Formats: sequence, C-alpha cells, structure tokens
Amino acid sequence: MGRSTTVVPSGKRLLPAIVAVSLLLPLLFAGAAPAADLSLSSKTYGLLYQRELAGGQKDRYAPLYEYLSADATNLGGMPLSLHSYGWGRVDLDKDSGSGSTSGEVGSFYMEYLHPQGNAQAKLGRFFLTEGAAMEMLDGAFAKVTTPLGLGVAVYGGAPVEYSILNGTSGGSALYGTRVFFVKAGFAEIGASYLKENGTFQEGKDRELVGGDLWLRVGGPVELTGQATYNRSVSEMASQRYAVRIVPGSTYDISAGYESYTYKGLFQSTLNPAFVSPSVDNNDKVQTIFGILDWAFVPGWTLEVAGKNIRHDKSDPGDANRGEVGVRYTYNDKKDVAGLSAAFVSADKSVNEYQEYRGFASYSPSKLRVTLDALTQRYKEEINGKNNQYQVVATAGYQVLAALNLSGNLTYTQSPNYDKDYAGLIRATLELGTTTGGKK
Amino acid sequence: MTRRMPFPAVFGAVLIALLFGCSAVSQSPSVPPKHPEDLPAGRVNCLECHENVSTGAMKPYANFRHTGVFIKSHGTYARQGQNLCSSCHKPEFCQTCHAGKEELKPNTKMGDRPDRMAPHRGDYLVTHQIDGRLDPGSCYRCHGNKSDMRCKQCHR
Repeated sequence: MGRSTTVVPSGKRLLPAIVAVSLLLPLLFAGAAPAADLSLSSKTYGLLYQRELAGGQKDRYAPLYEYLSADATNLGGMPLSLHSYGWGRVDLDKDSGSGSTSGEVGSFYMEYLHPQGNAQAKLGRFFLTEGAAMEMLDGAFAKVTTPLGLGVAVYGGAPVEYSILNGTSGGSALYGTRVFFVKAGFAEIGASYLKENGTFQEGKDRELVGGDLWLRVGGPVELTGQATYNRSVSEMASQRYAVRIVPGSTYDISAGYESYTYKGLFQSTLNPAFVSPSVDNNDKVQTIFGILDWAFVPGWTLEVAGKNIRHDKSDPGDANRGEVGVRYTYNDKKDVAGLSAAFVSADKSVNEYQEYRGFASYSPSKLRVTLDALTQRYKEEINGKNNQYQVVATAGYQVLAALNLSGNLTYTQSPNYDKDYAGLIRATLELGTTTGGKK
Repeated sequence: MTRRMPFPAVFGAVLIALLFGCSAVSQSPSVPPKHPEDLPAGRVNCLECHENVSTGAMKPYANFRHTGVFIKSHGTYARQGQNLCSSCHKPEFCQTCHAGKEELKPNTKMGDRPDRMAPHRGDYLVTHQIDGRLDPGSCYRCHGNKSDMRCKQCHR
C-alpha cells in the first residue's frame, strides 16, 4: 500500500518566506545608492511534434515553454545580488507531460560576496555543490576561508526534491558542512558531512560523510579524489580518483578509477528506476577510464575516451566503451564541425551498440544554420529494429542585438517510433544594463 | 541513535574553532561575481587571457579550459566551490541538466548548438536501457531525485 505519487517539492512551505525575505532585503540598501546591474533573459520554446507509434496510432503535441531568468548584481553599490530562474509549460494540444501545465522555480536567492577571501552567503532557493552535497535547497549557505587557508562551509534548509517513488516523498530538512584547507595553486583538501531527515530506503535518514582532494604534484600533473560514505546504510557510496595532466593549451589527459555501490549511492533515491526490481541493490560498479583532448593543429581537436565497466553481479554484464571524435572550430570560433564514433562491447550482446555522429554550423553575419545527424546500431533488435536515425536542422536569425529567433526541424526513426517529426521555434531575448560575461 | 552524534559534534567543534580562532577572512581578492569582459563564443579557454592561479578556485586557470576532459570531470571541481563557475555561468546553466522537474532534454533546448556536449541525443528512451543497465550511477546524478513521470511508466 504505497502512498500516492508525489510531485510536490518538500521545500514548498519554506519558499514563500524566503522569497519575501529575499525581496525585502534589497530595500534595506535602496537608499545607499540607486545602482544595480540588471539582466533579464527570456527563452521561449514552441514545440510541435507528431508521433506515429508502432501500432499506427498518431499523436500530436504542441507544448509551449517559457524559461525566464533575472539577475540584479551590485545592489545598492554593495556586493549583493539577487538571482532568479524558472520555467513554465502550457500545452496547446494533447498533454505532453503530467497534466496540461507544469513549471518550476529553479532558483531564487540573495547572494553576498565578500570582496576578499571568497567569503559568501546565499539565502533562498539555490543549487549547491559542496563536498558531499549536490542539492537544490530552500535555505541558507555560508562559506569563509581564513588567512591560514583553513575554511568552512555550512548550509541548511529544506531540500527541493521531487518524488515519483511510492512510499517516499523526500526529505524534510537537510543540513551539512565542509571543512577544508586550501593552498593556492598547490592543494585543496576537504572533509564534509551531510544529513537529510527523511524516510528513505529502509526507513532511514540520509547521512553522508565525504572527502575531497585536489593536489598539484608537480608541473602540470594533478591528482583528484572524491569519496562518500553513506552512514545510514554503512556502505561506501562512491569513489573517484584521477590523475590529470594539463601541459599548457594543447593537451589535456586524464585517467582514473571510479566505483559506487547501488546500496550506498541509491539509498535516498526518489525515482523507482534506482530501486529493486529495476536494479539489484547489492551490485557494485567499478570503472577504469581514460580521456585525451589534443589540439593537434590550431582549430582542430582530437578527443579520445575509453572506459572499462565491471559489475560485481553478473546480470548486467561488464562492458568496454570507446569514443573517438575530431572537431574543427572556425569562423572566429563561432562555428564548429565534428565527427565522432562510439563503440560499446559487452559480455552480453543486448548491451552492445555503435554510434556515429556528424554535425556542423555556419554563421555568416546574423544568420546561423546547423545540421546534426546521428545513427545508432544495436547488436540485438529492440522492438524489432536494430538501429535508429535522427537528423536535426536548425536556422536562426539575430533580429536585434538582444533578440534571436530560430527554429529546429527534427526527424527521428527509432525502435520506439516508425516516424517522428518535430518542430521547434525558439525566441531568445537577452537584456542587460552592463556588459560582461554570464552564460 | 546516540552513536551517531560524534560526527555532527566534531564538525560543530571545528566550525566554532575556525570562526572564532581564525576570525579574519583571507586577504586574497575574491573572484568577481560577474566576468568583467564579454565572453567569446564557443568553448572557453581561460588561458587566452589568464596565466596564473584563479583567486576564486585557488587552482591554475589551465584546469578550467573547457576541454572534453574538463567537461567530463567538472563535478570534481564544482564540489570544491562554485564561485569561479558562477562568475561566468548563470544558475540556469547548471540547472539545464541538474534540475528537478525539467522536461526538455538539453539537446532539444540547445538544438542550435550541436557543438555543446549535451546528453541524450537521438531517441534516448531507447539507448538509456543499455546505458542505464551498464552504468546507472551516471544517470543517478541528474535523475535520482527527478520527477519525470515518464520514468514511472516502466519503472514501477
């Protein structure tokens, strides 16, 4: 008797209060100076697609999406800023998702950045990565580094999570800290702790202890390490260790080892894809990987990557994945063309496939056109087919300095769709009162 | 339950020691909240202008050249601090992939940017069956707590 499906963020009760506080805070500084650097970004996507399913059924969809972000920095001439980002969807034809409308406030927070030492504080809804934490949080975050190089970060609030897992609706509160030591250009080492109150798998909270390391061992050679232990289930959740060599701007090489246990990593999942029977909770994955990025001639880059994936359990089977690609950048870096191939060889033929892709863009003046083609070939048939094709063609025009209009046309043939035609119209508006980079 | 108390207690003690024992903030200048110059198109190469160690991340700028290696391991650097990232990227940049309810695939939104390393090209509903079997941890980082109802159609 699982609970009904929940798609409401657990932090929803806290957000209105945080929004109110965040909006009122700038008023305290309004008299100090009228200055503020403002920027507004609106991206509107109108999609139209028709799908012909294997049984001959044809469905047509026309969702309209609006993505809006607004940022105000240098509020009152102080190192204060306000950031907001969210999106909404309304369907103009058949429901394309869960209901005819949807949306989300992705970020809404005030930020204070001290002019020295990277001391900072955030209040509101924000995406946080700090040690063991990679969360969306309705709450507060503060971080400071002392002259000795010792530092601390603390955070707490209500996690913004969405559950489609029966019986688990997400955590009610989340807090944690990271203590670190940093020596500029040489090393950073951190230890972190995270606790989330909730009734996750086995009816337990989530409690993580983490460690992270960046060490420049000499010249262009660096070591990185990251490990997380899940105290709630007494299991190592994940580990990643790598050596990276960055000799200038031509080569970038990395190799390393990664592992995770399903029980430790997936313990607090809210998605049924990560619990039994979709996965065997006792399995463990170990990966050895290598990546090379080589700018062998100005404008040309070779990318090669490979990894060996091994499972403790025999059921998923082990596999090797190799990728090779070449990219050519031209037209003052505005345009790129590329070719790539990827191969997966595995113990089980059901896991084997190949992928080939080619793309190019051309941007003369205010016009921009792109073409992107991809095919995948599967060793064993899926739904009676052993391949898929997709071609995406786009064209866009910079109507005004701040306004760009563009469109996509996509054709897909795959094991899921006999024919899938999709169109997209995109309007991008970027307004700001200052120059400077923010992508 | 009491055996679980030492960790918060230890971290709390270290926190208090740091805040009150070393109350001054480091004198090194913070990374600016917004990159002062307009950023060029395409993959960023910090080395075109910077050759020293970033005051934001305390690491050489060479580490942050946006190569394929960096992009595939960006999480390692982000977990030690986001301030250098957020000097050039808005919050929405991270949340293009690391999102809660996102419905549009990154490569659909950025169809006009085939040069971007956007995941899930093609009809990924097909290919995810294989990638998900072999390496579900790579899916988990974005989908572990994501409310995509389409998952539930098959994963019950």
